[in-house]
Amino acid sequence: MSSPSLTLPSQERQAARRRLLEILGALAIAATYVYLVLNQPADITGGPGSASALIALTGFLAGAVLLIVAVLPTLPASTLVLIPVALVLNIVLGQFVGSTLVPFYLDAIGTVLIAVLAGPAAGAATGALSSIVWSFFNPTVLPFAAGAALIGCLAGLAARYGLFRRFYLAPVAGFATGIIAGVVSAPVAAFVFGGTSGVATGAIVSAFRAMGDTLLAAITKQALISDPMDKAIVFTVVAILVYALPRRARLQFPFVRRHRVLAGNTPVEAAADAPAQGPGHGPAQGTSPDSARKG
Amino acid sequence: MTAPSAGRTAAPARRERLNPLTSLTAAAATAAITTAAGTWPLSLAVVAACLGLSVAGGTARRVLPAAAAVLVPLGLSLLWLHGLFFPEGRTVLAEWGPARITQEGLAFAGQRFLQLAAVVLALLLFSFSVRVPDLVAALSARGVQGRFAFVLASTLTLLPAIAARAQRIRQAQESRGLVVSRSLVSRLGAFRLQAVPLVLSLIDDAGTRAAALEARGLSNTGPRTSYREVADSGRQRTVRIVLVLAALAAVVLRVVQAGAGG
Repeated sequence: MSSPSLTLPSQERQAARRRLLEILGALAIAATYVYLVLNQPADITGGPGSASALIALTGFLAGAVLLIVAVLPTLPASTLVLIPVALVLNIVLGQFVGSTLVPFYLDAIGTVLIAVLAGPAAGAATGALSSIVWSFFNPTVLPFAAGAALIGCLAGLAARYGLFRRFYLAPVAGFATGIIAGVVSAPVAAFVFGGTSGVATGAIVSAFRAMGDTLLAAITKQALISDPMDKAIVFTVVAILVYALPRRARLQFPFVRRHRVLAGNTPVEAAADAPAQGPGHGPAQGTSPDSARKG
Repeated sequence: MTAPSAGRTAAPARRERLNPLTSLTAAAATAAITTAAGTWPLSLAVVAACLGLSVAGGTARRVLPAAAAVLVPLGLSLLWLHGLFFPEGRTVLAEWGPARITQEGLAFAGQRFLQLAAVVLALLLFSFSVRVPDLVAALSARGVQGRFAFVLASTLTLLPAIAARAQRIRQAQESRGLVVSRSLVSRLGAFRLQAVPLVLSLIDDAGTRAAALEARGLSNTGPRTSYREVADSGRQRTVRIVLVLAALAAVVLRVVQAGAGG
């Protein structure tokens, strides 16, 4: 409980190692994506079991696991206990929407909530963990771990740079996040599943296929229709939820106080809270700024 | 259907207690090898074996609905997508306007579906037969962070509790006069009335839990003692290594083959 630095070995080498893991994870995800997009025409219809499916699975999963390994030890306990809650929210809402006839997913509400309250690193870890834990009930979400991590990271960055301070900016940030997330997730859907797992999203893909698009192009276009709308809705829902929370609940998070994530009279609070927060959370343990890891 | 399940009952009957890591490795290796091979006889065999094992292990009643919830929409989506619209198809079986049923499309959809069914069943068989505390203990014993184990175990145990709480909140709001009609505005309002108390109470709970965990040394580094003994043996360790090597070999072989072929 009391200051942890007395007994711990020096933190600097560990921090450097974690930073390296973060960068490696982001690189693995980016390299996999580039490889898949460059290589796609040759083997999409060359039968299943394609090498691309394996590369997509391996690369994205390895990247997500590296990110988890790098980020998880740095999170303070107050953030760590929120992750299971976020995962349950993701799973409960996502399972419900995924089976209905709406071309959305809404499976990132918990991830975005954590990202807004605790920062991009926590958001990325939550996204990746969410996919891994959810795959206990639904193994098909496992390959989307990298995309989910990206959503969490981008949502955290949006919160950090004040896009949640104005209510109308939240859906805009969600829309932009959705474009990036959709483009990254499309190769997974195309190569691993050969389609989408939902009925409504499948109908949109087949409309593009009917016009003669390749499978990857059709799924990317579907993702560009579904994902930005989906994430705009998710970000709006999260903004509603966060602003509906009492101030005491939302200001307990150092990230919210430090970067003035939400509109309102935070600076006064920050001044009042800063000394009180010191011994409880360990001064160097707060979510470190992670703007560098923008794969 | 009865033949494979009858043939497989012998295996679990005389098995020693499987280490959760062994079954995890087996499920992951099965998934990797099936994906790498990508031939429908193997996929079919894996599906049959998983069904047999789940019947023999007594988990069929939970595995099958979960698998159906995943695979039925996926199968319908694939059939609709590739069965009707497959521009690369040459052998046209039927045609209405823009929709063409092609042999290649049906084959692609069928093959992809079988392969995914094999992977999904193998992983679900694992997750529904593993005992979560054992898995957590085994993971911590291997040096996997206590934090990952905490997130995994906590999520799996929180899920029913939170579902029950959501239900209670809905009942409470209904007793206060919440009526959900079919209109979108009413549904959104109802969502807000239920989601805000739920999220608020969850965040509040999490704060309490954080203090409790912190007081018990969650953030401390150093070795931990586990009270739970997980069965393991040299033979299981060998099996795990062999399975990992086989999966790696299958993946590498497949990637090299694809590199050479095109």
